[in-house]
Amino acid sequence: MARRSDLGSGVVAIPGTTATHVVRAALRGKRFRVGDYVVQILLLMTLMIALGVLVVLLGNVAIRGVPVLEQRGTNFLTTTNSTLPFLAGVKQGIIGSLELLVIVLIFAIPLGVGAAVYLEEYAKDTRLNRLLVTNVRNLAGVPSIVYGILGLIIFVEFLKPLTGGLTVISGGLTLAVVVLPIVIITSSEALRAVPNSIREAGFGVGATRWEVIRSHVLPSAAPGIFTGAILTLARAIGETAPLLLVGALLGFFAPGNVGFWGQLRGPYTSLPTLIFSWSTQPNPDFRNLTAAAIIVLMAVLLTVNAAAIVLRNRYERKW
Amino acid sequence: MSESGEYMDAPTVTRSDPSERSIHLERRGRERPEEVLEDASFVFEIKDLEVSYGGVQAVRNVSLNVYENQITALIGPSGCGKTTVLRCLNRMNDLIDGARVEGTLRYHGVDLYEAGIDPVEVRRRIGMVFQKPNPFPKSIYDNIAFGPKIAGFKGNMGDLVEESLTRAALWDEVKGKLKTSATELSGGQQQRLCIARCIAVQPDVILMDEPCASLDPIATLKIEELMYQLVSHYTIVIVTHNMQQAARISDRTAFFTVEVEDDGHRVGTVVEYDLTDHIFTNPKDPRTEDYVTGRFG
Amino acid sequence: MREETRRRFHDDLAQLQTTLYREADLATAGVARSVEALVHRNDDLAHAVIDGDDDVDECYLDIDRHILEMIALQTPVATDLRLVSAILHTNLHLERVGDQAVNIAKIFLLTQDLPTDATILSHLQEMSDIVCRMLRTAIDSFVRRDLELCVRLPEMDDPVDLLNRGMYLQVLRLADDAAALEWGIQMNVVARQLERVGDNAVDIAEQVGFLLTGEFREFTDASHLAEP
Repeated sequence: MARRSDLGSGVVAIPGTTATHVVRAALRGKRFRVGDYVVQILLLMTLMIALGVLVVLLGNVAIRGVPVLEQRGTNFLTTTNSTLPFLAGVKQGIIGSLELLVIVLIFAIPLGVGAAVYLEEYAKDTRLNRLLVTNVRNLAGVPSIVYGILGLIIFVEFLKPLTGGLTVISGGLTLAVVVLPIVIITSSEALRAVPNSIREAGFGVGATRWEVIRSHVLPSAAPGIFTGAILTLARAIGETAPLLLVGALLGFFAPGNVGFWGQLRGPYTSLPTLIFSWSTQPNPDFRNLTAAAIIVLMAVLLTVNAAAIVLRNRYERKW
Repeated sequence: MSESGEYMDAPTVTRSDPSERSIHLERRGRERPEEVLEDASFVFEIKDLEVSYGGVQAVRNVSLNVYENQITALIGPSGCGKTTVLRCLNRMNDLIDGARVEGTLRYHGVDLYEAGIDPVEVRRRIGMVFQKPNPFPKSIYDNIAFGPKIAGFKGNMGDLVEESLTRAALWDEVKGKLKTSATELSGGQQQRLCIARCIAVQPDVILMDEPCASLDPIATLKIEELMYQLVSHYTIVIVTHNMQQAARISDRTAFFTVEVEDDGHRVGTVVEYDLTDHIFTNPKDPRTEDYVTGRFG
Repeated sequence: MREETRRRFHDDLAQLQTTLYREADLATAGVARSVEALVHRNDDLAHAVIDGDDDVDECYLDIDRHILEMIALQTPVATDLRLVSAILHTNLHLERVGDQAVNIAKIFLLTQDLPTDATILSHLQEMSDIVCRMLRTAIDSFVRRDLELCVRLPEMDDPVDLLNRGMYLQVLRLADDAAALEWGIQMNVVARQLERVGDNAVDIAEQVGFLLTGEFREFTDASHLAEP
C-alpha cells in the first residue's frame, strides 16, 4: 500500500488506511490560503488604477467638450476653422484625416501584406533574409517624426511633380511609410499562425505555391491580417508629428481651399493637428473646443474600428 | 517531359484497364497465391536512394520496387527514414530547404528527379494522406473540389465530388451536409475526407503517412477496410508504426532500421523487403526478426 | 547484450516447452512400460500405465489452453509463431502416443489368459525399443533445436515398418490353435499401435524442421530431407 504521508495538507495517513474520514480530511486541505487572496486583490487594484486613469482623462474631456457639442451641435462638424472660437469647426480636420486614411490604406496594406507573403512563404531562410526581417522590426520602433523628415525630403521635395509638394498625398504617403513595418509584422504573424499542415495538404493535391497561398493560406490568415489593418488605422489616425513636417496646416486657411477635392490638391490639415493647433491658442475658449474636437476624434476612431471589425467578422463567416 | 503522351494531358491519367490484365484483383485477402503477387508490374523502381538534409545524410542504400495495385508497407522504429523515403516518391521533400535526393527513383519508367519534371504534376498523380487529418478549413464540397478545379477539371464537379466521397466510404455520412465545414467531422471521417480529396484528382498512387496514428481502433479498422477496396484501383504505399496493421493489410513489407556511425550520426536504411507473410513468419535478417517479434531492445 | 523486451512472453513460452518435454517423457515411458507389461505379464504395471495417462492428459490440456491464450493476447510472429505452432502440433501427437500406450496396456489385460508366442513378443519388444528411441530423438531435436537430429527420424522408422508388415506372417503361423490365433490377432493390433507411435515421432520431427527452417516439408519414408 503506497504511503500517503505527502498529502500536503499536513494530514498523515497511516499506511494502509483508506478510511473515508481520513480521505475527506486530506482532500479538504487548508480552508484558507492567504497568499492567493492577497494576489487576487493586488491584481484587482492594478486594473482599477488603469481604468481610473482612463476614466479621469475621458471625464475631463467630457466635462469640457460635451457642453460645446450640445451648444453647437452638427454645426461644429460642418464649419471650417476660424480664429473666433464660436465660429470654428472641425470640418477640415475630418476631411483631412479621412483622406489621409484612404491614402494610407491604398499604399500600406497591399505593400505590407505582399511583403509579408514574400517573407513568410517564398523567401528561403538565409542570413540576408533574417537581416531583412530584423530591420523591418527595427523600423517599427523608429520615432515617427523621423519619418516626417523622410517624407519632407522625398515626397515633398524630391517627388514634388507627383505629389504636388505639401499636399495630403505627401502626408498620406509619409504616414503609409510609418505604418508599413507594423503591417508587415502583423501580417507575417498571421501567416505564420496558419498551420503548415494546410499547406502540405494543398501541395499534396498538386497545387502550385501561389495556388496554395491564394486559396488556403491567405483566407486562413485574413482575420489576423485584418486585425493588423485595424491597428494600422488606429495608429494612422492619431499621428501628428510627421504630418507637422510635411505640411499639415496649423492655422486658419482660406475657405476657398475647402472640401474634399480642394484639400486633396492644396493645403490640408488633420484632426489631431487641429487639436494641437487649438490647444496652443491663447484664447481660453479654445480649451473647450479642443475637448470637443477630441471627442470627435475618438468618435471617428471608434467608427473606423467598428467598421473594420464588422468587415472582418463577415469575412470570417463566409468560409 | 516523357515520351508517353499520357503525362501531357492533365487532369485525367489514363491507366491500363484493370480488366485487361490477367490477374483479377477483386477482393484482397491472404488467399491470393503468391505467384499472382509476383507477376504484377512495377510502379516505382527505387535503386540506391540516398537522402540528405543540409549535407547530413539521413537515408541511404534504399532499393525496392513497388508493385502495381498492391499495398506496400514501410515499417521500422522511429527515425529510420520511412517517412523521408515516402516523401521522395511524390517530391514532397522539395519543399524542405536543403533536402537532396540521390540515386534512381523511377515512376513507370520515368526518373522523377530528371530535369524538366514538374513536381506539381507529379503530386497530382501521386497523392498523399498525412498522419494527422488536415482538411482545409472550408466546406466538405470545397475540400474535394479544390484539387480538380486547379487541375483544370471541366466536367461535372458535383458528380466527381460524389464519386470521390463514395470511393472513400464517406458519401452516405455526409451527403446531406456537403456545405458544412469539414472541421466539424470526427477524426476518422476527416481522414476519409482527406482520402476522398486525394482521390478526386484521379491519382495513380496513394501514399499514406501513418494515416491511422491519430484515430481510435474502430476508425482505424474502417480505414483499413477502405484500403482493401481502394487497392483494386490504386497502388498504395503506407508508412506505419503499427506492425499488426502492416501484417493485416499489406502485400509486401519493407523493414527499415537505423545504422549508427562511429561519430554517433544515425542513418536510416532498408534491411529486408519481402512478401508480408514471409516477413512475419520467416524473416531472413535477424534484425527483422528482432523487430517484428518485439525483442528489439 | 541488448535488453530483452517481452520478457514475460518469452518466459511463458519457455514454461510451456518445459511442460511439453515433461509430457514427452511421460508418454514415452508409457509406451515402454506398456510393452514391458505385455512381455513380462505384469498386470500391475499395465494398470499403472492406464492410470498414468491422466498425467499426460493434464499436460495436454494445460498446454492447449495456454497456447490459445498466447495467440490471442501476444500475437506471436516469425520464430515465436513457428514455435507456438510446433508446440501445438507436438502436443497433439504426444497426447495420441499416450493413448496408444493405454491401448496396448488394455489389450494385454484383455488377453492375459491366452497363450503367447516368444517370437512375436520379441518382435514387439524390438519395435517398442525403436519407437521409444525415435520419440526421444525427436524431442531431443526440439530441445536442442538440432536440424541434423530431426532429419534422421524417417530412416529410423524403416525397421518399424518392416517389423509391422512382417507381423501378419508371424500371426499366420499360429493358425492351428484358435486361442493362440486370437492372441496373435490382438498382437497385430499392438504392432499397429507401435507403428503409429513411430509415425507420431516422425511428425514431431517434421514440426521441428518447420520451426528451424520456416518451411514445412513432409518426411516421407523413402526420401531424405534436402537441406533448405
